[in-house]
Amino acid sequence: MTRFIAVLVALWLPVSANALNVFSCEPEWAALVEELAGGNVEITEATTAFQDPHMLQARPSLIAGARNADLLICTGADLEIGWLPLLLRRSGNPGIQPGSPGHFMAADHVRRIEIPASIDRSQGDVHPQGNPHIHLHPRNIERVAEALADRLAELDPANAESYRANADNFLQRWSDARTRWEERAEALAGMRLVSHHRSFSYLADWLDLDIVATLELKPGIPPSGAQLSRLLEQLTPAPPAGIIRAPFENEKPAHWLSDRLSIPVIEMAYTVGGADTATDLFGLYEHTISTLEEYRE
Amino acid sequence: MSEFELSIIFPAFIACLLVLSTHVPLGMEVLRRGIIFIDLAIAQVAGLGVIAADTMGWEARGWMVQFAAVSAALIAAGILHWTDRRWPDIQEAIIGVAFVLAATAGILILAGNPHGGEHLKELLVGQVLWVNIDQLLPVFVISVLVVAAWFWKREHMHGLGFYALFAFAVTASVQLVGIYLVFASLIIPALATRHVERRWLRMICGYAVGIVGCLAGLVLSIGADLPAGAIVVWSLAITALIFAWLVWPLLRTRSTS
Repeated sequence: MTRFIAVLVALWLPVSANALNVFSCEPEWAALVEELAGGNVEITEATTAFQDPHMLQARPSLIAGARNADLLICTGADLEIGWLPLLLRRSGNPGIQPGSPGHFMAADHVRRIEIPASIDRSQGDVHPQGNPHIHLHPRNIERVAEALADRLAELDPANAESYRANADNFLQRWSDARTRWEERAEALAGMRLVSHHRSFSYLADWLDLDIVATLELKPGIPPSGAQLSRLLEQLTPAPPAGIIRAPFENEKPAHWLSDRLSIPVIEMAYTVGGADTATDLFGLYEHTISTLEEYRE
Repeated sequence: MSEFELSIIFPAFIACLLVLSTHVPLGMEVLRRGIIFIDLAIAQVAGLGVIAADTMGWEARGWMVQFAAVSAALIAAGILHWTDRRWPDIQEAIIGVAFVLAATAGILILAGNPHGGEHLKELLVGQVLWVNIDQLLPVFVISVLVVAAWFWKREHMHGLGFYALFAFAVTASVQLVGIYLVFASLIIPALATRHVERRWLRMICGYAVGIVGCLAGLVLSIGADLPAGAIVVWSLAITALIFAWLVWPLLRTRSTS
């Protein structure tokens, strides 16, 4: 028993003495923590840009990362419902359970769109809490950054000032960049696109893109023949500019539609790490805007 | 290995042992009868039962999910037992057809009721590392009952009894460790010990192969940080090869000389 306590203490000590251990469910939040806390944190990343955050395979390092974490940062709004509750239970870490300060759900801090007026089972795998793919709207990044800076300061009061200063600096650079992106994106307004899943709804909301259809007519269910032929019929008279796809989404439906309508499949980065130049949040937005500019009608 | 790492793999190892306890003996019977895909079919039907319950409007949760799953699995076991007696020579083909019918029926029902899909995933895609100690108690009870029934009433285990036990064992284990590991723990120890003639010795060797393969896989999963279920399947297969080609020939020559 004493040895067990000694191990526990040994596991806990380096954490409290040096840096915060952060467990991040998606790359965009790891990138944001990096901006606000820089060298002050050790980050365990659960998924890469090439993995679907809806699904995850259990690896020992995930449990270890969650067990050691002082802060768990995830999207929430049911995006990780398939695996996060299991991981939290398995971690045995009281500090990151729902309701404790170490449990940070980004989607709690933004205004979500596509919240269904009524939960109707016939509508597909709809999220009753609204669309969880919030990180492609720059205002959402701002709101999450502000809340995250407060949370980091609460968890690690010794470095509170540095978190706040980093956040101010980040928010300043972010709002400058946003102004530039919005100027460039004026030419993108009204661009007609098809998306695979509703992964880009916030981007469309921000840039005034027109997502005319999604390939998964009901999220999470493969389309039927009748649905696909209706989609073709609907899109053939005025084909959209392209089909946008995140790296982890099935490419077959996109290429099927692309062949029939002779429009390109546009490979979006979707999140940090999804393209060579998308190494941080700024790079992600740069890549997203330039990719769309490339395919503008 | 640190105590910390041990605490990660300990529940997974216990889950592995519970699954092996029922699957090693059942697997030998499955292999003898040549109906190796029966576990896939039964697990898929159990999943279908949960989707159907959800569609009929029960907000299936907890025990209700288990009840729906086991009932469906038992019905399937009953039907397969009947086909086994009626058409024994095409039983394996019938099991294959039952598997694809159950899987595709799931897709068809889900086209109208996608929320059942979450239950289907919960049921078929168990992941051994996510297992919590408190989830193991019901599986422990089921395993003890299945193993006791198996060894106590062995002479009755050729007909309906076998199919019913199988339905319970597979429905319980697939949720813990997932379909790949269920299949592997059923078939691989039975295959590895194919040439061991004495029944009790074969059982002991089968358990040994299963336990060594499972432990080696979990340790490798920590060392290489790989998904545990998949690596345990591979380490079971490699342990089985080592047993069949190295360990058993050595043991046999020693005992005969």
